[in-house]
Amino acid sequence: MTGTTRREFLKASAAASTGLATSLALGRAPAFAQKRELTFLSWNHFVPASDDELRRQAEVFAKQANCSVRVDTMAHLQMPAKVAAEAQSQSGHDMYRSAGADPFLYEHLHANLDDLVDKLGKQYGGWYPFAAEMNQTKSGWKGVPWFWVSFPGNYNQAHFKKAGFENPPKTWAELLSMGKVLKKQGNPVGIPISHCSDAHSTYWSVAWSFGARVIEADGKTPAINSDKTAQVLDWYKELYAEAMEPEVLSWDDAGNNRFLLSGKGSWIHNPVSPYNAALKEKMPIADDINHHNSPAGPAGAHSAPPILGIAVWKFSKNVELAKEFIQFLFKKENYDAWIVASNAFNHPPLRHLADHPIWARNPKFAMLPKEAEFGHPRGWPAKPSDAVQRIDDNYVMADMVAKVVNGMPPKRAMEWAQDQVARAIKGQLKVG
Amino acid sequence: MAVGQRAIEAAGLRHVPGRLERLRQWWEQEDVFGYGLILPALVLLTCLVAYPFGMAIYFSLSDYWVGSPGQFVGLANYREILGNETFRQTVQNSFVFTGIALTLKTVLGVWLAVLLARDVRFKRVLRGAVLLPWVIPTALSTLGWWWMFDSLYSVVNWTAIRLGLMSAPGPNWLGQSSYAMAAVIVVNIWRGLPFFAITVLAGLMSIPREFYEAAEVDGASSRQRFWHVTLPLLKPVLAVVILFSTIFTFSDFNIVQVLTRGGPVNTTHLFATLAYQIGLQGGNLGQGAAISLFLFPMLAMVVFLQLRYIRKD
Repeated sequence: MTGTTRREFLKASAAASTGLATSLALGRAPAFAQKRELTFLSWNHFVPASDDELRRQAEVFAKQANCSVRVDTMAHLQMPAKVAAEAQSQSGHDMYRSAGADPFLYEHLHANLDDLVDKLGKQYGGWYPFAAEMNQTKSGWKGVPWFWVSFPGNYNQAHFKKAGFENPPKTWAELLSMGKVLKKQGNPVGIPISHCSDAHSTYWSVAWSFGARVIEADGKTPAINSDKTAQVLDWYKELYAEAMEPEVLSWDDAGNNRFLLSGKGSWIHNPVSPYNAALKEKMPIADDINHHNSPAGPAGAHSAPPILGIAVWKFSKNVELAKEFIQFLFKKENYDAWIVASNAFNHPPLRHLADHPIWARNPKFAMLPKEAEFGHPRGWPAKPSDAVQRIDDNYVMADMVAKVVNGMPPKRAMEWAQDQVARAIKGQLKVG
Repeated sequence: MAVGQRAIEAAGLRHVPGRLERLRQWWEQEDVFGYGLILPALVLLTCLVAYPFGMAIYFSLSDYWVGSPGQFVGLANYREILGNETFRQTVQNSFVFTGIALTLKTVLGVWLAVLLARDVRFKRVLRGAVLLPWVIPTALSTLGWWWMFDSLYSVVNWTAIRLGLMSAPGPNWLGQSSYAMAAVIVVNIWRGLPFFAITVLAGLMSIPREFYEAAEVDGASSRQRFWHVTLPLLKPVLAVVILFSTIFTFSDFNIVQVLTRGGPVNTTHLFATLAYQIGLQGGNLGQGAAISLFLFPMLAMVVFLQLRYIRKD
């Protein structure tokens, strides 16, 4: 048998240890391991140019910091499972795009970012309160608010004009009365009542505007079974029957976009992505699409915009590098370029960065920054929590509304929802 | 070598086996070699089947959240999901889904197999084409169906309305409970039919012609030949196919996830999609595992009974 003899082995290991000793003495890693790699898991942005700009900035940063940066993107609906898998295995990317209650779900797995958040806040005139609330846990900031997405009314001006309406609806009640006329004209309005996240974004807005809650402020008491919710359900029921069509029951998150872009729909509640898509594809309908602030109700205007952050895993070996990268992304010229690339889709959570002219210049976008004033994290007035996330993940409110529009008495649907909310909260209390 | 060995023995010299030789003798013993051969398979099964399965059982009995291992809680997760109306709805959905899909797949599968067994032109091309739905990745082909069932651009509705079979705007396939269930069942049948048809076809091919000739001599009609010759002889094959399909259909995930994500109002949720929603999206691994394991005792029973039945035949 010819293999490694003892003598050969000794020689080889001596050589290896000499090399190790050399690199230790010089205080740097051997050449092949010198380049650190920072990995970032993000989503497929609804405006792809935004991801291109992000990757460009990552390359610039990589050169500056003498490292390489890898930005991976995936469909937003697959993110929760991927993030859960990384949390479970404590391996994967260094940092990721967090959403919903991620900072609370993985509180003990996220690196603390207090100093970074503090620094950026001082630099740019402070964070909007809702953005901050999404990331600040009992044990500190477990994410940096990255951007938020305004969720205004999107409407087809031509359809509204034809129906005799000069202005878009200011309240949910107005939307109902206008919607009845618009549906008769063949241009119904559309709010998804299905298993998709837009369905809940709108539900939270409507419910808060009517003064309804899902959980009490203590975060422990279910509050969905109430007179206020009953009013919300009556409103939905009437809107469904007289201003919408059953297709809203089957929509995914792109369903309402297709509905507006097809020229059939007259009004949806959504980020400005349909308009951007129409511009990009040079569809003539772009001229007809306009936006207005999210409607108000008896309890004022409220909205539940998607708020996204960047979290850094505690298990990452590049926590400091990740923080540097985040700070780099928040440099004014970088953030501005990123806003432009997203065509005003990405809203900054920092006051001074929100002064970008892109909104002031385009009358169709002018009202968007104002949305930040009445935005809340989901679950409000309760603190964001994994219970709220579970309620969202299980589409409790969408199902409650769907039951009612399909004929279940509101009282029974609310009792069902109350039970579901109680279960979500009970799960939360068990988390150690 | 053997001659050499014998020559040494003839010379009366005692043979002292070397180290390598002794190793070979040990290795060539039947029980050692035999187990050695199945060892790789055993390692694979342990790592990829037994270990995850054991973990799933452990998860289902503990208060386990993503990233936060919990304590042993006994059957609390099972009690919790049984008390949840959404889960009870899911149990009902699964039985309706599997019952209808499996029945139709069996009937249509046998029918298709009998057709394919005939001598027609392009026989091979036809048999290959039938397999297509089974070959294309489900997630991809289901996207095609999803577009066909779209509320705004449904080609199904458009065609039916143009042909005067439906009044505009036609059913809202993925938005109304019974239509949505029908839609996911149709796609499941479309996807699972080739498996039935081809396997049953193989069974048909193995039936000796003499039986049919004998039946014909006795004056049996084609229907009688089917009921009294084909079907009884197909039984073992059918039993195996139905067994596999029962398991596949109960544990379907892709089709529902792509078409409806369990909606409308949870009326199309199956065990796998609900387990995904609660276990991975909601982070409650314990309950997710309990949901996906809920059917295990029942399915194990089905497997046991069917296998016994097959062996008896």
